[in-house]
Amino acid sequence: MTVIDADFSEALVADEKELSVARRIWLETRKSPWFTVGLGLFVVLVLGAFLYPLLSGADPQVMHFREKLLPPAFAGGSWAYPLGTDQLGRDMLSRSLVGLQISFLLALAAVVLTFAVGAAIGLYSGFHGGLTDQLLMRVVDVQLSIPPIILAITILGVTRPTPALVVLVLTLAGWPTYARVTRAAALGEREREYVRAARVLGASDLRILGLLIAPVVLPPLAFAAVLDLARLMIFEATLDFLGLGLQPPTPTLGTIIADGRKYLMNAWWVASLPGVFLIVVLLAVNMMGVALERARNRVLGGL
Amino acid sequence: MPSDILLGVDNLGVAASIGGRSKVVLDNISFAVSRRETFGIIGRSGSGKSVLAKALIGWLDPALSVTGGAVSFDGVDMVGADAAQLRAIRGRRIGYVGADPTTVFDPTIPIGRQIAEKLRAVRPEVGHKEALDRVVELFETVRIPDARLRAGELPSKFSGGMIQRAAIVDAMIGGTELLIADNVTQPLDVTVAAQIIRLFQMLRNEVNTAILFISSSLPMVKNIADRLVVLEEGRVVERSTPERLAAHPETAYSQALIAQIPRIWSREMAHPAVKADAATVLSVQDVKRNYRVRNQRSLFGSVSIQAVRGVSFDVKSGESLGIVGESGCGKSTLLRLLTWLDMPDAGRISFDGVDLGKMSRNDRFHLRARLQLVLQDPYGSIPAHWTVGRIISEPLRLHRSMLASERRTRVTDTMVEVGLDPGLYSKLPVGLSAGQRQRINLARALVLEPAILLLDETLSALDQTEQTRLIALFERLQSARGITYLFISHDLAMVRRVCSRVAVMYLGKIVELVSNEMLFFAPQHPYTKALLSAAPTLEESPYARDDYLVEGEPPSPLLIPAGCSFANRCPQALPVCRQQEPPVHHLPQGGIVACHLAGEDRVT
Repeated sequence: MTVIDADFSEALVADEKELSVARRIWLETRKSPWFTVGLGLFVVLVLGAFLYPLLSGADPQVMHFREKLLPPAFAGGSWAYPLGTDQLGRDMLSRSLVGLQISFLLALAAVVLTFAVGAAIGLYSGFHGGLTDQLLMRVVDVQLSIPPIILAITILGVTRPTPALVVLVLTLAGWPTYARVTRAAALGEREREYVRAARVLGASDLRILGLLIAPVVLPPLAFAAVLDLARLMIFEATLDFLGLGLQPPTPTLGTIIADGRKYLMNAWWVASLPGVFLIVVLLAVNMMGVALERARNRVLGGL
Repeated sequence: MPSDILLGVDNLGVAASIGGRSKVVLDNISFAVSRRETFGIIGRSGSGKSVLAKALIGWLDPALSVTGGAVSFDGVDMVGADAAQLRAIRGRRIGYVGADPTTVFDPTIPIGRQIAEKLRAVRPEVGHKEALDRVVELFETVRIPDARLRAGELPSKFSGGMIQRAAIVDAMIGGTELLIADNVTQPLDVTVAAQIIRLFQMLRNEVNTAILFISSSLPMVKNIADRLVVLEEGRVVERSTPERLAAHPETAYSQALIAQIPRIWSREMAHPAVKADAATVLSVQDVKRNYRVRNQRSLFGSVSIQAVRGVSFDVKSGESLGIVGESGCGKSTLLRLLTWLDMPDAGRISFDGVDLGKMSRNDRFHLRARLQLVLQDPYGSIPAHWTVGRIISEPLRLHRSMLASERRTRVTDTMVEVGLDPGLYSKLPVGLSAGQRQRINLARALVLEPAILLLDETLSALDQTEQTRLIALFERLQSARGITYLFISHDLAMVRRVCSRVAVMYLGKIVELVSNEMLFFAPQHPYTKALLSAAPTLEESPYARDDYLVEGEPPSPLLIPAGCSFANRCPQALPVCRQQEPPVHHLPQGGIVACHLAGEDRVT
């Protein structure tokens, strides 16, 4: 066994020529105008979210009581507050951007974790089959039978929500779907002829999973995960909106919307601007995800 | 021409338009089919046969359109006909049977009822009971045993051959005047395909129907068609009768088509005799393997499938042993056992005299380098996300430690040896032909310089030209490296060309294991004779189908009858065959046969 495992790690550090499949997909992706537009939007927003609060000096927490509910610059306001102010006179642009930054980081952490946990369990379950598979899939069923929002209330409602706990809730709600999809794909792949050929050659299970099955099963799922980033950002905002997420004064998209909803009649921008930011990010992420997936299909000849 | 022409095709042209450009698919096709005549159309895959079949019934794919000419069916212009006119003809007066009968039926409704419903849709005046009786009657005509019982069963209970028969009934139920049979034997095993051919011969004589029989294989058409046309790239290149075409093909295309049809009974084929003192490389002794599957009728019970039921043979160094048999005979399970992907329940498999079951994991791992497998499916058996070089170098990475540059040299050397362009090294397999892919497969198996190569239907997905080239390659490798081959195949002609000894498997057992010459010129077992009679060749087979071809299909491996498992299909079965398992006779000429009719009471 040790012989095989040493060789396995050697194979992972494959020489440059053979890494080029991923590179070819990347080159193909970059040809897509959708990808360029998506990436452009994404970079602008993410950079903005991280840099604007630092560079502009506008503090999302500072209240200006005489300047409450000012409209955005394009709707008659001043450029001192490009997107207006909220009910406490705080700068909407910097609040939205900080909120976006938090939502994005939490969702990103959750997606990575969800994908890692779900894919690992799914691959193992599908590849091994038997009793392990049966047990793991029952766990998945149990997890799926608990509505995410109830899960969130149970965990976040009784504790003081921290970023780590929010990520935990998002991960718990998401992993079973990934596990199931990965398992189904791994199960199908396990019976393929090339896997049999590898077994006849004496390849270890780990090698077959890592070098043969995972590279076939995981990429489509990874693209789905990219799209899921958007879904999780919305879910995270929902938690905030319901008061289950990060607590004020931390500005998050959900709390901004929740606060702004009271002023919807006279200051529409407070509740709607965070939503617009969210939509643009989701759009950008979707464009990139789709372009990447199409490029992969073209390179591997699927479509 | 007299007025009894049923189907007239006159200068028919069909073109495909893809993205604004158009490509001619069929050009200037003309022929006529008379009433009650059987007319053949042959051509390789891609010659436009299926498009022609669909053009005749006005059922072209939206991307295709008729560019000229006419098709008239009993005076009705099929090209210009509107939907209502076509409906009045299709299914009522013209029936169509395709290559994939499994998709013809709704899996949730009993077959008999589906066909009866179809009849009632076409002829509403027929009553329910009457319609079902008609179906049962036709089931009997196409030799479906227990017709009334079978008519009440769901399609999933029908085997490939039986469902094809039901599909023929389905096509004929409306009292059709023309039956279009498009490649109907393609998915079937040889003996079943031969049964279907025989069924068509019978239909021609007994039923008042004209048949348009479309096939890629002249031997299939030979016994059925009165006249035929040869299609090449959408044009008719030759009109002939099957006999004339077989004897005197006029065009180069037909000559090539005929030259590629395998020949079995020519004596001059030489097989390098194996040296008598050659060492035994692989020895299989009384190997058995059962699989347990869940019994659907009980909570926890399971039933046992006897996939391999006591198989023994030796493979000598440098020889080519063939194992033939039809689907379900246990070939695949045997192969899984030989490659140690699965372990036998009983018996032993030894390699170079060492029992695989008693080896350590590590020894078995090292052994794998000496025993390699080449699989059947050129598409499924290589990973699509690896480059060609990576695929072929994988065995070296597993079994040899060497520098990347050395490895690359070895891989490119092997690529050259099997006839692959070394320029493909860093290419992905996308877009490579089946032949090139099979060469990658072969290179992967050869790169470790194994002692024995197991070939599982390796050539069956390739066309004749590629097969011939690869067989030549196998022979060259054998004489250069002394590789031992184990060919697992259903293709008798291939086995005839390459194997020195042949084992015939039936339902998990070897029924006959003799030398190549013996198998083809003095077969002992009735099943071997049946296989030989069913082999699609143009030659006059010494084993006439009428005398040797068996009816029915193998029993299910779930319920193997007592006695000889072939007894229920065997034309010569004696009472003893149904009671006692036949002993294995050692033939005086060498080889073994498991049959009550062979051995001591035979004059040899």
